[in-house]
Amino acid sequence: MIGLSHYLIISGILFAIGLVGVLRRKNLLMLFFATEIMLNAANVAFAAVSNYYHDLTGQMFAFFIIAVAASEVAVGLGLLIVLYKKFGTLDLDDLASMKG
Amino acid sequence: MEKYVYIALFAPLVSSIFAALFGMSSKKNFVGVIASLLLATSFMASATLASYIAEGGAAIHVTMMEWIGAGDLMIPFGFMVDHVSVTMMVVVTLVSTVVHIYSIGYMDHDKSFNRFFSYLSAFVFSMLVLVMSDNFAGLFIGWEGVGVCSWLLIGFWYHKEDVSPEVNPSISPSWAANEAFIVNRIADLAMLVGIFVLYWNTGSLQYDVVFAELPHLDTAILTTAAIALFIGAMGKSAQFPLHTWLTDAMEGPTPVSALIHAATMVTAGVFLVIRANPLYSMDAVSDVSYFIAALGTFVAFFAASMALVNRDLKRIIAYSTLSQLGYMFAAAGLGAYWIALFHLAAHAFFKALLFLGAGNVMHAMHDELDIFKMGGLKQSMRATYYYMGIASIALAGIPPFAGFFSKDAIIETAFNEGTLILWIMLVVTAGMTAFYSFRQVFLTFNGDHRYKEFGIHPHEMYKFVLVAMSPLALLAMIAGFFQGSFQEFITKLLPNYEMSHHTHELVYYLGGLVLVVAVSGIALAWKKYGNGLKRDEKCENSFIYQLLKNQYYIPHFYAEFISRPYALVSEMMWRNVDMKIVDATVDAIAHILYFSGDKTRKMQTGNLSHYLNWMGVGFVLLLIVAAITTVIG
Amino acid sequence: MDNILSVLVFFPAIAGLLGFVVDKGSARVYGISVATVELLLALWLWMSFDTANAGMQYVELIPLVPDFGINYYVGVDGISLFIVVMTALMTLLGMIGMSIEKEIKNMIISLLFLEMTMIGVFVALDAIVFYLFWELSLVPMLYIIGAWGGPLRIYASVKFFLYTFTGSLIMLVGMLFMAYLYNSVSGVWSFSLTDWYALVLPENYQIWLFLAFFAGFAIKVPMFPFHTWLPYAHGQAPTIGSVILAAVLLKMGTYGFVRFSLPLFPDASVMMIWPISVLAIIMVIYTAMVAYAQEDIKQVIAYSSVSHMGIIILGTFAMNAEGISGSIFLMLSHGIVSGALFMLVGVIYDRRHTKLMSEFGGLAAVMPKYAVIFGFMLMASVGLPLTIGFVGEFLVLLGFYEISPIGAILGGTTIIIGAIYMLTVYKRTFFGPVTNEKNKTLPDLNGKELTALVPLVAIVIWLGVYPKPVLGPIDTSVKALISFMHEKARSDIAKDTITLSKSVKEAK
Repeated sequence: MIGLSHYLIISGILFAIGLVGVLRRKNLLMLFFATEIMLNAANVAFAAVSNYYHDLTGQMFAFFIIAVAASEVAVGLGLLIVLYKKFGTLDLDDLASMKG
Repeated sequence: MEKYVYIALFAPLVSSIFAALFGMSSKKNFVGVIASLLLATSFMASATLASYIAEGGAAIHVTMMEWIGAGDLMIPFGFMVDHVSVTMMVVVTLVSTVVHIYSIGYMDHDKSFNRFFSYLSAFVFSMLVLVMSDNFAGLFIGWEGVGVCSWLLIGFWYHKEDVSPEVNPSISPSWAANEAFIVNRIADLAMLVGIFVLYWNTGSLQYDVVFAELPHLDTAILTTAAIALFIGAMGKSAQFPLHTWLTDAMEGPTPVSALIHAATMVTAGVFLVIRANPLYSMDAVSDVSYFIAALGTFVAFFAASMALVNRDLKRIIAYSTLSQLGYMFAAAGLGAYWIALFHLAAHAFFKALLFLGAGNVMHAMHDELDIFKMGGLKQSMRATYYYMGIASIALAGIPPFAGFFSKDAIIETAFNEGTLILWIMLVVTAGMTAFYSFRQVFLTFNGDHRYKEFGIHPHEMYKFVLVAMSPLALLAMIAGFFQGSFQEFITKLLPNYEMSHHTHELVYYLGGLVLVVAVSGIALAWKKYGNGLKRDEKCENSFIYQLLKNQYYIPHFYAEFISRPYALVSEMMWRNVDMKIVDATVDAIAHILYFSGDKTRKMQTGNLSHYLNWMGVGFVLLLIVAAITTVIG
Repeated sequence: MDNILSVLVFFPAIAGLLGFVVDKGSARVYGISVATVELLLALWLWMSFDTANAGMQYVELIPLVPDFGINYYVGVDGISLFIVVMTALMTLLGMIGMSIEKEIKNMIISLLFLEMTMIGVFVALDAIVFYLFWELSLVPMLYIIGAWGGPLRIYASVKFFLYTFTGSLIMLVGMLFMAYLYNSVSGVWSFSLTDWYALVLPENYQIWLFLAFFAGFAIKVPMFPFHTWLPYAHGQAPTIGSVILAAVLLKMGTYGFVRFSLPLFPDASVMMIWPISVLAIIMVIYTAMVAYAQEDIKQVIAYSSVSHMGIIILGTFAMNAEGISGSIFLMLSHGIVSGALFMLVGVIYDRRHTKLMSEFGGLAAVMPKYAVIFGFMLMASVGLPLTIGFVGEFLVLLGFYEISPIGAILGGTTIIIGAIYMLTVYKRTFFGPVTNEKNKTLPDLNGKELTALVPLVAIVIWLGVYPKPVLGPIDTSVKALISFMHEKARSDIAKDTITLSKSVKEAK
């Protein structure tokens, strides 16, 4: 039987993968992918918990996240393209211009 | 009568302000003349008041206005003329009138002539406030006022340079002035404490209210007040251990020494004890009173011993002043207040005369003060010689001059009270007094003309100055005859002190003994110095001679163990404590903030990836905190 | 003239704004005229002040943020009246004596703004208004030190600003908490002092609030060990800055104790007598010794200010009318005397561009008028009777003697060690032969300097001989304050310590 904990473990693993991606990757595009993974990890957890409690709010929330993620990707990718056109790279080490 | 009170009190103030108006201009003789006239006016008014009081008039109280009023405290400017204050007024104004006239001659060549008169008159005003006030706060005004005038006058020749104490024990006039002020301030603090004690326990500072309340107070409170007020008196009257300033104060012009450091200001301490006699004559504070007498006797002896070997004309007289103040305190401590006041008045006359005579000698000798460099001056300065002789006879206590009557009465009192040790010390001191007074007279006026080596041509003082000194000489001779009438006058206010029957029977033997001791002191002085200076190397190198010459090493001790450590500790407080601890702590806090910012600034690399890593760290830390709080909570 | 206080507060500021359009050459004259009008207004306030009334007069109340009970609320009583007058006086005389030529217009404008904030602090009856003026006063001063100061001016001004600012932020927290407490008791918000006075707090709250306010006031005073910003500020500030700083800004701290700490937290004040008086006594003796060690005349005066402020604190915590009246009078006299002393130091600094005592000596012969005025101020500073300095010092020590005889004696050593450092300064500067060639031709005080200094000498003598016109109204208000505190105190020990007049005490 697949229970709540399985979903949550999956969600945790996904989140960890996303987190490691965020921390380790240097390419901005890959960072985007990693954040998407983390968002989806949250979606999985929401849906699972919603089902567990028989409360639709969680699933509604997951939809919201999907919508937000979609618009974010749309804007974000646009910015990435501009960035790439301007600097010729998406590597974060080469994009550091705001040193303290 | 009240108008005479105001005239007596304010004429010196007017004189001071008048002279101050010309303080920065060149010498103007009329300033001195007008100041002297105003002082004479003040003397006339005082004398009028004295005769009014003597004829049985009631004590006069005047209250001018409120001075300080806060909480329950109400201090008015109130003045009182009664038997004690009128005596002081007459003595003060008489001596200061003479000194003012004298100064016209003495300060003749000084370019700060006008300024001098301004200070001198201001001093007289302060002194009159001191003696006439009807409350302790008013007394304190005068008390501090004479202190500051003394500071101004000792430091009058402020332009002189500091020299090492070996060359001149007073270092410089300005140094001596500061020393006098600061030492007096130490005593003034005690005096303030005395005032506070009386205020919080009696609710007032008016003499009459305070003295009326005294019988209701605890012994501890009375003792504290008596001790504190006496410490105040010790400072002003230069009693051991606060005595060093008085001899150093001789750096001031000689008229100042005559007026302030002999006749008036230094007697303020004695005056305070006499004024507060209701306190000091209480049984509860008999120990304090006895201590006053003992300390007075000790100082009489101690100061006389230092005078024996000193070579400085003015310092010898200053030591004799100290010694005579000791006599006064001995009398006051033993309860013979009127005798103390009598000696105070008599002493004021002959001591002022002695100082003014010394001023003549200085004038003649071009400010040379070493009596070893003088000798044989009587040929050229006959009048001064007589004046100094009269004053010295009076000081030595030879009848029928004033000093005999007053000093003998004090010695008799010591005998009468059965305090034999005090009596013996006072008798011995009388002999020493006679010796050093005449040592000084003989070395100055008799014998060979040692000054010729130094190319000095002495000349007598101006005539009018000599004439002005004559009232003092007259009083030094005859004041003693008024002992009986003075006793009758003053004991209307002060407690009477009569010798017991037993003492009365012995009075001729006692007086004779003192006289013999004094005469033998003079004889010894004549034998040693009558025919000029014969120096005795062996004696001068002996331990005791050196000890006395160095004033028992007390100034040295003060310099080494008080002044120097104070300066060192202050320096350390500033450089080490204030800069390196207090301020450094503040700066350290600021630096920690600054450095933490400076170090963590490196986190701000501009690289998004690094920021995300830090975010991860923060996330983990928050999780840990959350976990811990959950576990603990 | 019911809104005289608002006029007093805002007239200098508006005049300061107008000052931007004044021609540079006439800026000084403009500033002096404005300050003169301000002083006349302050004197008018004094003349029309009802001296028999112990309460607040000329009260104005305009709601600012009614929901939170923040009002523009000002008023004056015997305690603040004379500080306001002194502020106007010292600003005027400081301007007259000022020798600055550089950027004179900006200086005048800064001073006028500073005057607004200072008077604002002393008349504010609303905690937020008080706090606003309190903090605003830092800005012109920061500017004065930082722009016209000596070589270390940036360090000194930043230190001054941050140090005092830190303290007042803690005070602000205290004020907010006080308002919160008021709200939780009464259900409405109020920052008005008169409302707060009515609030009786439990003792543990009192202690914490007392400490919060203490942080602000103690740093401002400045109390040992928070005093180290002061010597730097004085050392670097131009003469006018030091005059205002010593004469008025330091008084904000001691005034705060009287206006806030004592009536709001009577029990805590009584409990804190010991720690505070220990600090005050250390402050008196320690800084006097440090003053003695200084080589720079201005630093001596700066440390002597700290030492005298210690006496003021002692008087404030004497908890009887003698002590508190004395400490308020001493605030005034210290303002006059230390202001004058700083002006006097400025005089030789203008001539020689040094303040080191070793550079001088024998000035009494070269500059007699200067020496005389310095001498007067010296005597007032060491508390000679019949000068202004004595009255306050005497009352404070007398008052504190009731709390602790030993404390009064230790504090009283100020009359000795104060004389030591002041006389040493005087001897090293004015006495002795003129050794330095440069000093032989120094000109004596000029007309401008005399105009600034002679009135101060006159005040020193006038209020020393006849302090009643000032001391009377102060005493009336202080007596009211004392009986209010006595009434409000909860613990018996506090009721016992806060001494009412003797007759009342004996009757009980």
